Amino acid sequence: MAQAAQSLNPSPPLRHGHSVKRHTGLMDWITTVDHKKIAILYLWAGGLFFGIGGLEAILIRIQLIKPMNTFLDAQTFNELITMHGTTMIFLGVMPVIFALMNAVIPLQIGARDVAFPFLNSLGFWTFLFGGILLNLSWIMGGAPDAGWTAYTPLSTIQYSGTHGVDFYTIGLQIAGLGTLIGGINFLATIITMRAPGMSFMRMPMFVWASFITSAIILFAFPAITVGLVLLTFDRILGANFFETSSGGNPVLWQHIFWIFGHPEVYILILPAFGIISEVIPTFARKRLFGYSSMVFATILIAFLGFMVWAHHMFTTGLGPVANALFSVSTMLIAVPTGIKIFNWLFTMWGGQVRFTSPNLFAVGFIPTFTMGGVTGVMLASAPADFQFHDTYFVVAHFHYVIVGGLVSGLFAGLHYWWPKMFGRMLSERLGKWTFWTFIIGFHLTFFVQHFLGLMGMQRRVFTYLPNQQFDLLNLVSTIGAGLMGVGMLIFLTNIFLTSRKPADAADDPWGDGRTLEWTISSPPPEYNFKQTPLVRGLDAFWKEKTSGHTAMTPAEPVGPIHMPSATILPFLMSVGIFIAGFGFMFSRDDFGNAFMSFMFNNYLVTAIGLLITFGSMLVRSLYDDHGWHIEPEELEGR
Amino acid sequence: MATEQHSPSDGAVKHRHRQEGPQRHIVVFVLSVVLTLIAFAAVAAGGVNATFAVILLLVMAVFQVILQMGFWMHLKDKGHLLPIIFMLGGFFIAGTCIVMALYWVWWD
Repeated sequence: MAQAAQSLNPSPPLRHGHSVKRHTGLMDWITTVDHKKIAILYLWAGGLFFGIGGLEAILIRIQLIKPMNTFLDAQTFNELITMHGTTMIFLGVMPVIFALMNAVIPLQIGARDVAFPFLNSLGFWTFLFGGILLNLSWIMGGAPDAGWTAYTPLSTIQYSGTHGVDFYTIGLQIAGLGTLIGGINFLATIITMRAPGMSFMRMPMFVWASFITSAIILFAFPAITVGLVLLTFDRILGANFFETSSGGNPVLWQHIFWIFGHPEVYILILPAFGIISEVIPTFARKRLFGYSSMVFATILIAFLGFMVWAHHMFTTGLGPVANALFSVSTMLIAVPTGIKIFNWLFTMWGGQVRFTSPNLFAVGFIPTFTMGGVTGVMLASAPADFQFHDTYFVVAHFHYVIVGGLVSGLFAGLHYWWPKMFGRMLSERLGKWTFWTFIIGFHLTFFVQHFLGLMGMQRRVFTYLPNQQFDLLNLVSTIGAGLMGVGMLIFLTNIFLTSRKPADAADDPWGDGRTLEWTISSPPPEYNFKQTPLVRGLDAFWKEKTSGHTAMTPAEPVGPIHMPSATILPFLMSVGIFIAGFGFMFSRDDFGNAFMSFMFNNYLVTAIGLLITFGSMLVRSLYDDHGWHIEPEELEGR
Repeated sequence: MATEQHSPSDGAVKHRHRQEGPQRHIVVFVLSVVLTLIAFAAVAAGGVNATFAVILLLVMAVFQVILQMGFWMHLKDKGHLLPIIFMLGGFFIAGTCIVMALYWVWWD
């Protein structure tokens, strides 16, 4: 334990004399429950996994640069594509989404923290340990190799005999726990913690998008949880949910996976919609066009998102009626999405548009995402899908929506909120270089893949024969991937150079901030708002600016602020689950070592892990932690 | 919906539940027990047709859920619109999964 300084400022007599433990260094990060610090943890952890997933992508593209390449063997290639997809979606972009949600939502709704700061920390650590467990597979006998969808029977013990898929099921189970916790936390935060005057229809669009995203997480993640439990039981305990020979049904996995999996893609893209809806009005100096239709469209997308999962399964033989119904419901999603696209365009129309680096990413997002949407409608047509299925056309489609859509949105959000998160403006010049290399590289990589798919190149093949007209387009695609890599390196350079500058960003560094986060210092103090602001309309800060005010009207007098205590329990709980996961995974192994076999085969390792987790929960339940207060004297700097 | 939910600071005004007497609680409790007894009796009696028993159990279960959610989880009270919406959303999606599993996986 780090040294505990007594209280912040012991000199004046404090009315609520709680002493507060102050940790420093690593201990500060492990024990923090501050949403702004957890946001930064999410960002670094997500960035790390994003980097790993990116390296895997580069290796995949190097293997495919020419026909009959022998850079990788088939097994390694399968492991790479599986881990690339899984890592990018669950461990790369979702944490960065959570980073932005954590950093921005409490500030945008005028709250001092999230509803459950303890759970916030627990969500992060379970995600991190789940991600570490999944990636340890590389050095512990081989990564999962059944594709990111882990379709049965390929992922059953019969066809995937190593521990690879176990790492997938257990790792995602633990990481998914963190996501579910995070989603519930944001629902509670947005419902209960909005500043006075901020009704639902005055919430910034990013808050709305995050709210709907959290609702989708709440409803979709239980499906994958159940699916992963069933697959784990099949693989480790010899159950037969997906085992045809014992009366199971492998297609059941596809249903369960996509009941989760399709809403999951909306979990990914809706926050990006929210970010774009913040960035574009700010840099057009206009309020968002059609705010209420945006809200409605977001809710509609979330609802329809649960009604379309079988469009991933057109070729499994559901029959013409089911295929037709799911075709129609899928095409319907284009309607609310189209509303959004037009609203962004109309927001820019007639505005005083400034092409700063966040706005470049936001503007680049619109046509790129629309192209992904158009191929989505093409894929929704069941007869055409029989041709597109499992070709590079599908690969091109989902990379257009996830990379061209979501990752562009995340870049826009990171450039936009970086000064608020870190107090330092990212270099505009390097930001623009990032944009141009990234977007040109992106289109080079994935545009040609549409045609590769239409010409018949299948996805997930580790090599191809020469002279099928695949050679040139694959070379172009690999060059594009390299350029995207260069864009990422420029972004990292930008972060590095910026971190060496003094933290001198203004409260409202872009000058045209519209929402509450720009009314407080960059980075904000621990308690965010000295006085909770009074919200008088949509775009609360902009409304005050247009009324000639320079600051928000406070909704309360200055008073002591109640703060949650830092705690190491969430970290310990996650370590416990991590150990229990390992114990369970290797419970049937013969280690050739009496002690190890004894520990694992009798579930003792699992028991130790669970003991740590439940012990921490017991401590949490029995020990009343009332938090601590920051007194008005400290707020005023006296 | 919006006006009922927001702003933690003026929560004191909002949460002015009218005190319910114990009578209603007792009535609901007895109802719950009776519903459970009917379900048990239908199976234990033995003479009841199996199909009828299953349907009866499901109907009893629906009433039971309504009682539990409405009274003990306070969904009938004011200010519970969002919990109700989320509950219904959950039922809807869980129902979709059940229909999927029945029609496409087991009976196909």
